[in-house]
Amino acid sequence: MKVVEINDVFKTYHDTAVEVKAVNGVTLSFDKGDFAVIVGPSGSGKTTLLNLIGGLDQPTAGEIIVAGHRLSELKPSELIDFRMEHVGFVFQSYNLIPVLTASENVGFIMSLQKWPKEKRMARTGELLEAVGLSERHNSRPSQLSGGQQQRVAVARALAPRPQFILADEPTANLDTKSAETLLDIMEKLNREEEMTFIFSTHDVRVMKRARRVITLEDGKVVSDERTNHNS
Amino acid sequence: MKNHQLAWRNLWRNKRRTLITAASVFFAVFFALVMRSFQLGTYEKMYRDVIESYSGYLQLQHTDYIDESNLDNGFVLEHSLSDIIGADPNVTGVIPKLESFALAAAGSRTQGVMVIGMDPDNEQKTLNIKNRLIKYRLTPEATEALIEENLPARTAKLVDVFSGEAWTDEKSLISDLGISDEDSAAVMPLFRKHASLDNRYINSADSGRAIIGYGLSRYLSADVGDTLVIMGQGYHGVSAAGLFVIKGIVSMPNPDIDNAFVYITLDDARWLYAAPGMVTSAIISISDTDDKELLQTQQRLNELCNNGLVIRNWKEMNALLLNQMEADNKSGAIMIGILYLVIAFGVFGTVLMMMAERRREFGMLVSIGMQKRKLAGIVGMEMLFIGLLGVLAGVAASLPIVFYGYARPLRFTGELARMYEEYGFEPVMPMLLPDTYYLWQAVIVLLILLIAITFSVRRIFKLNIINALRA
Repeated sequence: MKVVEINDVFKTYHDTAVEVKAVNGVTLSFDKGDFAVIVGPSGSGKTTLLNLIGGLDQPTAGEIIVAGHRLSELKPSELIDFRMEHVGFVFQSYNLIPVLTASENVGFIMSLQKWPKEKRMARTGELLEAVGLSERHNSRPSQLSGGQQQRVAVARALAPRPQFILADEPTANLDTKSAETLLDIMEKLNREEEMTFIFSTHDVRVMKRARRVITLEDGKVVSDERTNHNS
Repeated sequence: MKNHQLAWRNLWRNKRRTLITAASVFFAVFFALVMRSFQLGTYEKMYRDVIESYSGYLQLQHTDYIDESNLDNGFVLEHSLSDIIGADPNVTGVIPKLESFALAAAGSRTQGVMVIGMDPDNEQKTLNIKNRLIKYRLTPEATEALIEENLPARTAKLVDVFSGEAWTDEKSLISDLGISDEDSAAVMPLFRKHASLDNRYINSADSGRAIIGYGLSRYLSADVGDTLVIMGQGYHGVSAAGLFVIKGIVSMPNPDIDNAFVYITLDDARWLYAAPGMVTSAIISISDTDDKELLQTQQRLNELCNNGLVIRNWKEMNALLLNQMEADNKSGAIMIGILYLVIAFGVFGTVLMMMAERRREFGMLVSIGMQKRKLAGIVGMEMLFIGLLGVLAGVAASLPIVFYGYARPLRFTGELARMYEEYGFEPVMPMLLPDTYYLWQAVIVLLILLIAITFSVRRIFKLNIINALRA
């Protein structure tokens, strides 16, 4: 089942009279349960492609269909609701809400979606346990390590059961042990919840775990390989 | 998590900044309220003093009297007109008055005075002169005698400070001189011995008797029982001269009036100025003095007047004073405006810093699904909370001062007091109790916040998520 379809997408930036083709005619699709990474050198268009898939940016040309929604047809406020309903984001620098506890951060999107409190609490507890932070549920982000914060961010992204998770360099700020732990958790969630993960990364540790590696260069897909990594 | 809970928590993520911003609002509100209370309290006292010690709220006058206030613009007050005016539901009395200027002399000193002739029995409905009779005064001799007595140190010091002052009641004397309840039993007999004044009011049968202002009595060195020579010009240019025995001394709140006040019976005034049956005006006392009711009463009464007579309200009669106060009021408003302008920049600075610091967070919140209007609502609430903290603290801190300043008005002494008196003001600064001016300060702060909120809301709605996430 296709979760994301990208059809001949272009994204061009005009910086000081120079035209930059960040994404240059990409056609791709992602299936439910994919554990895919987008790799490539800096400036190859990884983050831009991720932003386009997540509806944070609009393509200059081409079409992106996510869970049956043509993103170009959605108004800005509809795009926000679309992201809330269908996309989970994990950012490089965690981006937790500093004034909320770990469990409040995990439950935040569910509260935006107006989940009943009991259901929300149950899901929050379940996810904090899955990421191994049940005992730190009452800690604020400033009281957690980088790895712990990123695990809370993963739990937050997963909480409302989105169609897929977009993770932009999720391990870039983590030490080896924290990165391995995080990837273990993501793999487990991918396996158990059949959650689709799409990463952009430079990190070899992430590439080694991926079951699909898409390589971008100058905004074009130069390879799209399925690997034998079994989770 | 509810929006207001998130806003409240956000407020305390940078405690110092929140407190500094709230403190700036607090100080602006506090100083504005205290300043305004002093200013409006002083105006109100001046208006009240003029109304209660001279003009009353409404007067029946000849049309030309306001421009040329002399006997030639006097009139004969018909009983029929007086009765019709008196029948108005808001009118409690019509008190004829004959007043003119003259020279008053006692001993070797002479002073230009305002001689007011009124019916002593009816006068109490307006100027209430009887209640202004002095009970205690600190003449140089009384001050010296009291200081030599064994007074408590604080009272002895205050006796020296208040030397020359007079009091119309024992309560204000005790309050001004800091006489405690424990000391009063021992101290008050000393004041009764050295500083009390045997002062009497006149009645309508008291021919040849006068009541004078305390300021005038001090200038002329004239005391109760002394004779006052009055000379001036009577009706249609005849000479006016008379001898009057001082029967009482009163303290009028307005120094200009106090320094020139001579009060005799209406019959004596008519005799002195050779104006039988005439009055220069009639004070109309009213029960409801509210501005709207006052104007309606004036309009109703004006419809009853003819033969060149007109009803004037206290604002028309004291236009100069009102203009002075209005000019002063404007300068006060400019000061407060500058104060709030400084605060507005402070608040705006906080908003700018907050928006810059939290740009990435805003980008993250919108990217994970928070609608911009919800985010704007939370940020707006944060600003509102800061403003409310400052406003509520400012109001709370100002209230005790305002209530104290109302109950115990600031009284100037020495040079400052003399300066005030030279300008014709009593050297007292009372405060005005909380009124609509309190509400206005809150409205001004809310307007400043509204501008700041509008700015932040605009920035949020124009937020570019990609750029914000890179911030």
